[in-house]
Amino acid sequence: MLISFMDFSLAYSEGSAPALKHIDLEINERESLVVSGLSGAGKSTLCLAAADSLASYPAAVTSGEIMRKVDSASNGGTAIVMQNFYAQITYLRSTVFEEVAFPCENKGLPRDEIIRRVEEALGRIGIGHLADRNPLELSGGEKQKVVLATALAMKPALLILDEPISQLDPESAAHLADVLAELKKEIALLIAENDPYLTLKVADRVVVLSEGEVIADGAFGRILEPGIEEHVELPAWTRCVSEAVKEKHPDMEDSTKRYELSYKSAIAALRGIR
Amino acid sequence: MKIVYDGVSFSYPSKTALKNVSCEISPGSVALVVGHNGSGKSTFLKLMNGILKPTQGDVRLEDVNTRDKRVSELARYCALSFQNPDDQLFASTVMKELRFGSENIMGDGSLVDVVSEILHLENYLQVNPLSLNYALRRLVAIGGSMAMDTPVLALDEPTAGLSQREKAYLGSLISHAKGLRKTVVIVTHDLNFLLPFADEILMLSQGELRYSGGRDNLFNRKDARVLMAGCGVSYPIYARISSAVEAGKYCFDAKELVHELIKRKAGATRRTNGRHQLEGA
Repeated sequence: MLISFMDFSLAYSEGSAPALKHIDLEINERESLVVSGLSGAGKSTLCLAAADSLASYPAAVTSGEIMRKVDSASNGGTAIVMQNFYAQITYLRSTVFEEVAFPCENKGLPRDEIIRRVEEALGRIGIGHLADRNPLELSGGEKQKVVLATALAMKPALLILDEPISQLDPESAAHLADVLAELKKEIALLIAENDPYLTLKVADRVVVLSEGEVIADGAFGRILEPGIEEHVELPAWTRCVSEAVKEKHPDMEDSTKRYELSYKSAIAALRGIR
Repeated sequence: MKIVYDGVSFSYPSKTALKNVSCEISPGSVALVVGHNGSGKSTFLKLMNGILKPTQGDVRLEDVNTRDKRVSELARYCALSFQNPDDQLFASTVMKELRFGSENIMGDGSLVDVVSEILHLENYLQVNPLSLNYALRRLVAIGGSMAMDTPVLALDEPTAGLSQREKAYLGSLISHAKGLRKTVVIVTHDLNFLLPFADEILMLSQGELRYSGGRDNLFNRKDARVLMAGCGVSYPIYARISSAVEAGKYCFDAKELVHELIKRKAGATRRTNGRHQLEGA
């Protein structure tokens, strides 16, 4: 176990509606967990709490506990890419290379180690060509990649990503999904994301939040049911099959097919209509 | 309002972001601007309301050249919602935020109520927008731009950070803008959600315009997949499914696709029954 939420609740201020309610959740080593849910469900708050980044909310009221085996201050701790990743770029450094190196420098790592880590992180995210560019002049998507590379360079034991593909073009999003699928063999991932394609590729477990509460927790294919569907985005092919079941098409009467996540099986089912 | 880019180039100090772009966006249409990260999409949009002026060439909104007007004057023609909502929001309440743009261009704010209803912001009108979650902040930023009631509405990555619920609200807003004959220009990676609303597509790669024209024309081109791949744009998933199930036409959402399949099945059944009746006679 890397981190464990035990009956954890949080409100951003005394008397305000709780953002998280009685969360019981464990994240284990080399486990990848995707958190889904409508906006306002508590996904970002869960990420911040897991990253121990709630210090900037001094009015927050919490109950319960979060037990950690990872220490954000130590090497191999936690790294987070926030939803508003723009706020994470220091703009104190004039090149992307130096920007990505910044947290490693703060950790006091040896120069050679920093260079190795930065080169590896830039390569992994596919932005080696941006190394000498000024972060200020990058596009939104490129900035998101810089922050992702910065987090990777820290070599965390738990990597927390809040909507990591929000500004990425589809090719970059697919590339990041591949990188994360590889990375989960080495470290634990906590990803707040509604994109079903990333979820399919990366998630060992999907946790669905609604109004601060966990309403489902399990493998993607196992948690889908009518009450959960509105909180989770389905892949397009699954949505088509689900739509056909809703239309009560005779060829699709088998409602167990309603949440067919396999592309091939869904296409075969849809072809049955013709 | 017609939008014309005539030989437009734009350079930042260390990079040329747009190279000799010429295109026309028809009045009242919804145009999607797509392309890989760093292809020049946001720059394209910022040239529309004069935040950036072309290094070469001209951008015209109907007969108004953006070179000849200040940003404050161009705000009467084009409202732009930024890629990062936090760059845009500053008022102390959602209501003040929604009204600000409209009041400053001497508008009557008549769209504020409609916008807050369509985007389901009614319960937050007296709340500080910066205390809202990211999706709501984005909706407030988009709503403030729409409430300016300009003939052109420009949105930069409007679906980023929205869950399916807010995307549906955004869809209603786009439809409403279309109903008002506004020209809506949207920079996006989310073709899967926005294609059903689109009339025109502009595709950028490395600052060059690789396609501009009708949505359906694009998908009917034999080289559509290659063209899109060359711009780092994934072939939209519903178009891919339409081909895989031989739906007979390109559909852009699940409902349309399923209805098309059912319609074709009913047609095939009618033809078979007719043949049987003929054979029986």
